[in-house]
Amino acid sequence: MSTPSSISRRVFLKSTSSAGAGLLLSFALPPRLFAGGAEARAAAFAPNAYLSIGSDDRIKLWVTRSEMGQGVRTILPMVLAEELEADWKKIELLQAMPGGKFAKIRLRTSGSGSAVGTWKALREAGATAREMLITAAAQQWAVERGSCRAQSSQVIHIPTGRKLSYGALADAAATLPIPANVALKDPSSFRLLGHRMHRVDAPAIVQGRATYGIDVRVEGMRYAVVARCPVLGGKLKHFDTAKALKVPGVHNVVPIEKGIAGGVAVVADNSWAAMKGREVLEIEWEPGPHRDFDSEAFQATLRSALSQDGFLSRSDGDTAKVLESSSRKIEAVYEYPFQAHLPIEPMNCTAHVRSDAVDIWVPTQAPEVAQKLGAQIGSVDPEAVKVHITLLGGGFGRRLFCDYVEEAVELSKKIGAPVQVLWTRDDDTRCGFFHPASVNHLAAAYDGSGAITAWAHREAGSDLSMFGPPGNDPLRYQKDGSPWGIYDNPYNVPNMKGDYVPVSSPVPTGPWRAVEYPSTVFARECFVDELAHATGKDPLILRLELLRPYDLLKLPEETIDRERLRRVLELVADKAAWRSPPQRIPGRRWGRGIACNVYHSDSYIAQVAEVSIGPENDIRVHRIICASDCGMVLNLSGLEGQIESGILWGLTPTLHGKITFKHGQAQQTSYADYRVIDMEECPLIETYALPSNAPPGGLGEIPVPPVAPAVANAIFAATGKRIRQLPITPDKIARA
Amino acid sequence: MPTYSLVVNGKRLTVEAADDTPLLWVLRDNLGLTGTKYGCGMGICGACTIHQGANSIRSCQITIHEAAGKSFTTIEGLAANGSHPCQRAWIEEDVSQCGYCQPGMIMQAAALLKSNPHPSDADITTSMQGHVCRCGTYNRIRKAIRRAASGSTA
Repeated sequence: MSTPSSISRRVFLKSTSSAGAGLLLSFALPPRLFAGGAEARAAAFAPNAYLSIGSDDRIKLWVTRSEMGQGVRTILPMVLAEELEADWKKIELLQAMPGGKFAKIRLRTSGSGSAVGTWKALREAGATAREMLITAAAQQWAVERGSCRAQSSQVIHIPTGRKLSYGALADAAATLPIPANVALKDPSSFRLLGHRMHRVDAPAIVQGRATYGIDVRVEGMRYAVVARCPVLGGKLKHFDTAKALKVPGVHNVVPIEKGIAGGVAVVADNSWAAMKGREVLEIEWEPGPHRDFDSEAFQATLRSALSQDGFLSRSDGDTAKVLESSSRKIEAVYEYPFQAHLPIEPMNCTAHVRSDAVDIWVPTQAPEVAQKLGAQIGSVDPEAVKVHITLLGGGFGRRLFCDYVEEAVELSKKIGAPVQVLWTRDDDTRCGFFHPASVNHLAAAYDGSGAITAWAHREAGSDLSMFGPPGNDPLRYQKDGSPWGIYDNPYNVPNMKGDYVPVSSPVPTGPWRAVEYPSTVFARECFVDELAHATGKDPLILRLELLRPYDLLKLPEETIDRERLRRVLELVADKAAWRSPPQRIPGRRWGRGIACNVYHSDSYIAQVAEVSIGPENDIRVHRIICASDCGMVLNLSGLEGQIESGILWGLTPTLHGKITFKHGQAQQTSYADYRVIDMEECPLIETYALPSNAPPGGLGEIPVPPVAPAVANAIFAATGKRIRQLPITPDKIARA
Repeated sequence: MPTYSLVVNGKRLTVEAADDTPLLWVLRDNLGLTGTKYGCGMGICGACTIHQGANSIRSCQITIHEAAGKSFTTIEGLAANGSHPCQRAWIEEDVSQCGYCQPGMIMQAAALLKSNPHPSDADITTSMQGHVCRCGTYNRIRKAIRRAASGSTA
């Protein structure tokens, strides 16, 4: 990667250009398989993005991902500007929308892939445009190309100092043949990439000018909230509009069928009137078949499912035989409850359905799905649906679903007016697509020297519903590369088996930051700690032993570099002074724990947590030190921010997060009872990114999985108590 | 519907709203000041924080009836062109991720610095407690408040 690479001619497709139109390059982005899941593995997309340089000096970049805090609207212009030699702050950003020239282009934002899926082609596009602009200038001056260089959106003739702006060269450049091989910049000469860059959207955000979905205002729009059955799978039986319609400002009370559960919409002049109307709406629900669903009972069902053989996802050697014949072995079961997303901006969507066109303004990670649903429900051609993607007040996987888009489109169609459907915090907490509950069983055998000889990991849980029903294909999970964290266990154990027992539940489930990894990695990394204790080894040393000989682990879909994992483990251990004596805090028990993970073979991470436990077993996480190798760093400040963010996301389920169901209803309603980490609990976080010239790996989800096991292992180090159920609470420590 | 008069960002305004309408929704739906965010409607997330005089309040917890005749500042009116030390510090420290909670955070921090120009870490924690950021930007918020308090703009 350190030598300039060439660009294949075929990735470019030049548009016909007319005089004055400037240079318009469209370029194919490489297909990026959605990281796991049947949906994406089945189809490889070949998305495109678009750049234009106008004769008026304007450089436009269409952003092909949704901005949800991961910084994509900052990173993409950085990548483009780096190679184009343009002033990145002056690149105008346009949000791509599905259809038209983006009809076959992936706009979906998921799998920590915003940069992974776009950066290479953006570099190539920038480099190609740069070379064509230099050629155009050299021709105009009748000088050698080699005597010209590009800088700050200009081409400069070095000997004479003459300059021409990109805009002045754009029309001429557009008539040139596209060069076959263009050199990319050597990373050592990067002036933007790898540095700390401020977010493009920051000035608007800090002045309250940034537009999220909830901020959309359309001429003549109404505001609505929807009453949904609180019981899973329940149906509308009867409703009476009289009282709701008496609330001043309420216009309509309309039953709707679409969305996560259907329901009754109250439409008003403003959000408050809609909420008040819903409060007095008389409504009767038919609770349906899941009225007795209880998450505690479901957890017991999951535990008993562990006795079944699951769908195989990893099978090296003869694990069962070695486990059976070994006299030295341990086993343990770990439990992970349901979780909710609770993004700070609740679900919302604004739609305007006319007879021949639909406009949708929505904070979404899945605009293509929104377009399709808009067409179906609005009864128009997909090309007549415009999906205007706003900023997202948090995505975290919840906004891969378009249930709230369905509601808004159906409602707008029914009332014949533009309408914003807003979910209240209560709606958002109780009616979502939850992170599924799961249990993990691990067993391992070791020999007299403490070497691990066999490893079995089984998970029982409910499938992520967006990936479709599991079906009966015995190799399904092997093909899917699932469950993540089991099939791609990085450790070198001669006999290793991983399988999955799907257990259906009525709870709608879906991706949640890091998707399948949090529960499996919690179990796996705690279990390594337990094995270290059983074999009398230091948990860091055991991990390093298990990665020997630091070779490549070849899996059907990917290759894990154990050396990269070793390096982040050693780096984090060094930065955390792993071998230093425990700290002393009067009246508290102090401990440190370590955990690591590999995210889909391209991002490597290790964390050390330092905790202390008070006399009442109160838990204080003081510091989390994190070392990562996520490939080439694009925006260092963005990387550090994502690491901090992912760690705090992971700390919520570790210490507090739990959604429970009784009588078929989610029992939590807000941040009051689904507590999230706040400033008082926020530990110090130190991030260390290993320099790398490997292609950029994913980032947004990567820091989440190691948090819970690092903290749990630290609590064990402090107290000698092993807590195997999340969240870890003072009462669990007291009882252990 | 009753009519109320109040001052927002230095302007006297008249709005027509049901008497129990939280000021949050008057700002957002009647006045188009959408920088003040809805996060929970229960006063537990802090996204809707504004100033009443020099004090921070949760705009979802005060009705238009209670707000009538009083004077408020929202994020849009905090400073011309984003020049408030907190706004500048927020950019310098790269605080924002999704950014949705940040107007509320900044309004809270600005009120803190007005009453306590040099807050200790404990003062910052006490003041910002009860403001939810799902992206987890708390450490950067703390740094930005320290930077704003120090008067450093670089």
